[in-house]
Amino acid sequence: MSIHQPKARERHPAAPSSASPDPARPPAGLVREHRRRSLFAYLTLSPTLAVVGLLMAYPLYVAIDLSLRGGQIADLLNLERNPLTLDNYRDVLTAPGLLSDVLRSVVYTVGVVVPAFALGLGLAILLNKAFPGRRIIRPLVLLPWAVPGVVVSAAFSWMLDASYGVVNHLLRTVGLIEDNVAWLADPDTALIAVILPTVWKYYPFFTLVLLAQLQSVPGELYEAARMDGASPLQQFLHVTWPAVRAASSLAIVITGIGVFREFDFIYPLTGGGPNEATQTLAIRIYNEAFQYFEMGTAAALGIVTMAICGLLLKFAGRSVRREFS
Amino acid sequence: MSTTLSRPRRWSLLALAIAVTSVLMFPVYWMIMTSIVPSERLLVTEPPLIPPSDATSISAYTSALRDLPVLDWLWNSTLTTVGAAVLSTVVSTLGGYSLSRFRTRGQQAMGFTLLFSRMLPGTLLIIPVFVLFATFGMVNNLWSVTLVNTAATVPFTTWLMKGFVDAVPVEIEQAAMIDGCGRAGALWRVIVPLLKPGIAATFTYASILTWGDFLFARTLMGNPDGWTVTVGIASFIGEFSVDWSGLMAVGLISMVPMILLFLLLEPFLAKGMTTGSVKG
Repeated sequence: MSIHQPKARERHPAAPSSASPDPARPPAGLVREHRRRSLFAYLTLSPTLAVVGLLMAYPLYVAIDLSLRGGQIADLLNLERNPLTLDNYRDVLTAPGLLSDVLRSVVYTVGVVVPAFALGLGLAILLNKAFPGRRIIRPLVLLPWAVPGVVVSAAFSWMLDASYGVVNHLLRTVGLIEDNVAWLADPDTALIAVILPTVWKYYPFFTLVLLAQLQSVPGELYEAARMDGASPLQQFLHVTWPAVRAASSLAIVITGIGVFREFDFIYPLTGGGPNEATQTLAIRIYNEAFQYFEMGTAAALGIVTMAICGLLLKFAGRSVRREFS
Repeated sequence: MSTTLSRPRRWSLLALAIAVTSVLMFPVYWMIMTSIVPSERLLVTEPPLIPPSDATSISAYTSALRDLPVLDWLWNSTLTTVGAAVLSTVVSTLGGYSLSRFRTRGQQAMGFTLLFSRMLPGTLLIIPVFVLFATFGMVNNLWSVTLVNTAATVPFTTWLMKGFVDAVPVEIEQAAMIDGCGRAGALWRVIVPLLKPGIAATFTYASILTWGDFLFARTLMGNPDGWTVTVGIASFIGEFSVDWSGLMAVGLISMVPMILLFLLLEPFLAKGMTTGSVKG
């Protein structure tokens, strides 16, 4: 399959169903057959509809409702509904620290995605070459993807421990630091300390996606490039990069959204502290809801987060679409 | 692809690969180290970097299994993971088929909704989901954790499966239908067998996500009887003094099922990721 193939969905935007050249149309196009077809079309879609509707769309509706009416957790169980108000949004948007939470989320996301992508791409290029032992190395470097986030967090919080952490020990041994650093407790280093395990967890996804792309590049292309005297850098720019570019932007966007909302690494490591140094939007929502039980504020904050995420996606989406067309 | 490389170059690549792998695998190595070396040897400012020969033991494993309900946690995780992975595979196979083969307004709207629902922050969803399950008395019920995880994976896995169905030529099912199969028959007997790599990729993806889920399991499962292994592991942290050996032992135990699944299905995964990422 060609990687430069544009998405069919985008090539035929909003084609009306009757006129669309449907490949699955059976030889005899009768009205009854047409009805049976659309019945089957919706029948197969209905489980997805049920799952997404019940556990995504309905909660979203409740969240919007909550953001417009709700306050404390008690209001949720109270059947009398409060009047509609924008108070929660006003509180959220005027609360001190919102902007720094947004910035922190962006820094965290970029701080994870850029190194994870670079590492993933480097490994994909390496694993695409024939060398002895590749079959053993390959599953090993992909392994972090299968490790639960909480386990990753636990391992890193132990390694980054201020007094007994092996990271401090290693850095002291090679002379990079003189005194132990309290990685997770120091506001200056805490964000780095939560970025590290997240990178470790996410780079294999990039390796997996990019390796799959690279494996579809015929080896002759590299040989031809070498014969023409192309340097490794030129080979990368003219053979490797064009092959992985399209998949890269999509994988970056998918991962970026995931990291922007990430909870499992930050919360167990720092809970958003110290002194809010690792409080991203996702953590703030959780703390508002389940620590202060301010459900209305939390819901409003969640909607705002979604809007920000949507804006970032629209921004990134344009470059993704460009890759596909 | 495999290009013919000169011998010294192949060995230098291996050396590079080993160097990189050692750094990347250090966290796993350190977990193993912590789990087999007694705490008093590690709670020092200069912990030994290789296991001291006079002091290694598996007591962290035996005492964790004896003193903590680790097996119950693993069982709860297994139930929710298998449940969510099976549900997610069935739902996304049907949904992926529908999105791939039909192009009516419903399919278009659903395709968009699926992409959009990836943007909902889990911490936002969990509030109304919690309320929803509380209303039906389903808090502290493993089914609720299973269902939420299914919903969390379906947006991605449906797109993944759509990519796989796109790759199956329509002529194959048309031929089956001319031979007298109904649409459902053609789907079940002809297409599903061809989707094996996609099913493997979907199953693995959903399993890894659900096995690793902490947010949903923690919020919906207040009752310790229903804790999954991630919630159990998190309960170690934040105590006054953390039992690092025990924590790492349980952490390593919790990795085993996913590693086995991963090794088993990894060959399909790379394929699944190309299809899914390019078309989705």
